Amino acid sequence: MELKDKIKRLTNAYGVSGDERREISPIAAELMKPYVDKVEIDEFGNVIGYKKCGVKNAPKLLLAAHIDQIGFVITEITDEGFLRFAPIGGVDSRMLLGSELTVLTQKGPITGVVSSVPPHLQKPGDSSKSVKIQDMTLDIGMTGAQARRAVRVGDYAAFAHDTIDLLGDRVCGKAMDDRACFVCVLHALELLKDAPLAMDIIAVGTTKEEVGAHGAGSVTYRYRPEYAIAIDVGHARTPDVSPDRVPCELGKGPMIAIGSNSRPNFARRVMEIARAKEIPYQLEVCPSSTGTDAMKMQIVESGCCTLVISLPLKYMHSPVEVLSMSDVKNVGRLLAELAKSFDGRL
Amino acid sequence: MLKNVLKELCALDGVSGYEDDVRKYIEEKAAKYADEMTVDPIGNLIIFKKGKKRPKRPVMICAHMDEVGFLVNRITEDGLIRAAAVGGIDPRVLIGRRLKVGPKKLPGIISLKAIHLTTAGEREKSPALSELYVDIGASSRGEAEAKVSLGDQITFDSEPLELGDKCLKAKAIDDRVGCAVMLEMLKDVPAYDTYFVFDTNEEIGSRGATVAAQRIEPGVALIIEGTTACDMPGVPGHMQSTRQRRGAAFSIVDGGTVYSRTLREKVIAAADKAGVKWQYRESANGSTDSGVIHLAGSGALTVGLSAPVRYIHSACCMVHLPDVEEVLKAAKLFIKEAGDLRV
Repeated sequence: MELKDKIKRLTNAYGVSGDERREISPIAAELMKPYVDKVEIDEFGNVIGYKKCGVKNAPKLLLAAHIDQIGFVITEITDEGFLRFAPIGGVDSRMLLGSELTVLTQKGPITGVVSSVPPHLQKPGDSSKSVKIQDMTLDIGMTGAQARRAVRVGDYAAFAHDTIDLLGDRVCGKAMDDRACFVCVLHALELLKDAPLAMDIIAVGTTKEEVGAHGAGSVTYRYRPEYAIAIDVGHARTPDVSPDRVPCELGKGPMIAIGSNSRPNFARRVMEIARAKEIPYQLEVCPSSTGTDAMKMQIVESGCCTLVISLPLKYMHSPVEVLSMSDVKNVGRLLAELAKSFDGRL
Repeated sequence: MLKNVLKELCALDGVSGYEDDVRKYIEEKAAKYADEMTVDPIGNLIIFKKGKKRPKRPVMICAHMDEVGFLVNRITEDGLIRAAAVGGIDPRVLIGRRLKVGPKKLPGIISLKAIHLTTAGEREKSPALSELYVDIGASSRGEAEAKVSLGDQITFDSEPLELGDKCLKAKAIDDRVGCAVMLEMLKDVPAYDTYFVFDTNEEIGSRGATVAAQRIEPGVALIIEGTTACDMPGVPGHMQSTRQRRGAAFSIVDGGTVYSRTLREKVIAAADKAGVKWQYRESANGSTDSGVIHLAGSGALTVGLSAPVRYIHSACCMVHLPDVEEVLKAAKLFIKEAGDLRV
């Protein structure tokens, strides 16, 4: 399966934070299986693959890419048959009016449309005011009685639509954050297939990152790796942000974070490797929080040396996130080269 | 089948002035039922159908083929597209949507910078179309220009989808629903000779209907539309305009027309007799092709008949399909009731 097909397989599936086990965890496990000695899904839905190096008491390197996605939970079914919903993770409400959401009901997925008031009935100025999520409703085309039979309060929902190709090597869809990075990890494992290693690798599809990186925290606690890398998406510049705020760009290679949450000496080592192997990279300065699994992993138990490597992504947390396949390949390559040359000593 | 024709029509693209694909589809479907077919200079498809009797004055029925959308207005250095709106579109329904760009139907998207990069204040304001752009994945002007030209049409990418209880979600239900109803009407021999007009340029000011009516000079006309149904929670009753599941909507007055009360009441009486489900369009906002048709020549009596459609002028319009069946029944009654009027 091509890398792009793996991205499509993963992003077309659903797994909002807390609901990973039902659909996305088994798919992620199936895709990881060929590349590791053993893969398991834990009780939280984390997908954990082990690749032993064969050395006794070898240090451990954990690679974490989260498999959950932002979404919604149904909070009310109105008498008119509309659904009210609350966000899970950071959702910009301005993306929602007139959009399609998939409601993951007990009986399977159904589609709904987020209600909007047509221009003919608006007051002047309305069109520049955003609507709050708590004031929105989801229209599933049912009467109240029908809706109550089909949907339960507590059911999850997420952006609808499958991933598509844009021009060049650009790919667009929901949940690229962070399943595209899970594919980067798969690519790294594939490149490491017969490579001699000095460290055990624990490759993890983590859960609940979008609501606080809980999955990564729990896995790190269990395995106590000496080193842990969060592979997550990073902001690629769009015309509505300044280069000062977002210096990195799509298609220019992995973003290596440097700062307190992405240990400078670890980051510098990775940069050296990138230069030696001629892998393009960009530097992302992160003075405090990276907002990734690394935040949790760094402070588990007696602590862990963490690094963040990011895949450039435009329009993060939208239904139409855009990435470049060349970046996916280069993030995978960089991880593989690091694993090949790293013995646990910085 | 009405439903399938409606789905096929909504899958076609035709913003005002670019209705060719829609017209071609209708011409093919209508050819065997038409007595005369004319495409006029601004793209209207005028189909004359002989009826059982000759009317006292010409009978005209119309629906518009065009939909709201955009044209490629500018391609930036970075290969992004600035779009110009065709028709009235609330920019708030555009963010996060997928689009089809140009004759090759290239996928494109509209989005915003990530929420992480916004301030609370920024999130309270929704950007205008002039601040938005369409991203087709190109990274330079050259890459975009190889695939897209200025003036290409851009439409919503929204596959017709049946959902819930007999509902259809699609773009352009306004007014492919009218086109679908007329195509169905063409299969019967009407009570009176009738001009069926599939018109153009409605969304930018009923230009197609203007010249079609000047050509036909109807005495009576029926305008079939997809109209706003705003029957959502939180919208007060007097603002809902029409409601789904309540049947065909008759217009009383809107921004362009005071509709003929005499003719409407005649059709409603027949509808009641036939058990057709109907409601009033309880709003004076908006306008239809009637605005120009009732003023053409020496004037015409017009009836406005609509299917209630939620979220018109967005990627995801929604119609309750049984409502469309009621529109079809009422439209057939119109010909019977209007044909013998000496206007």
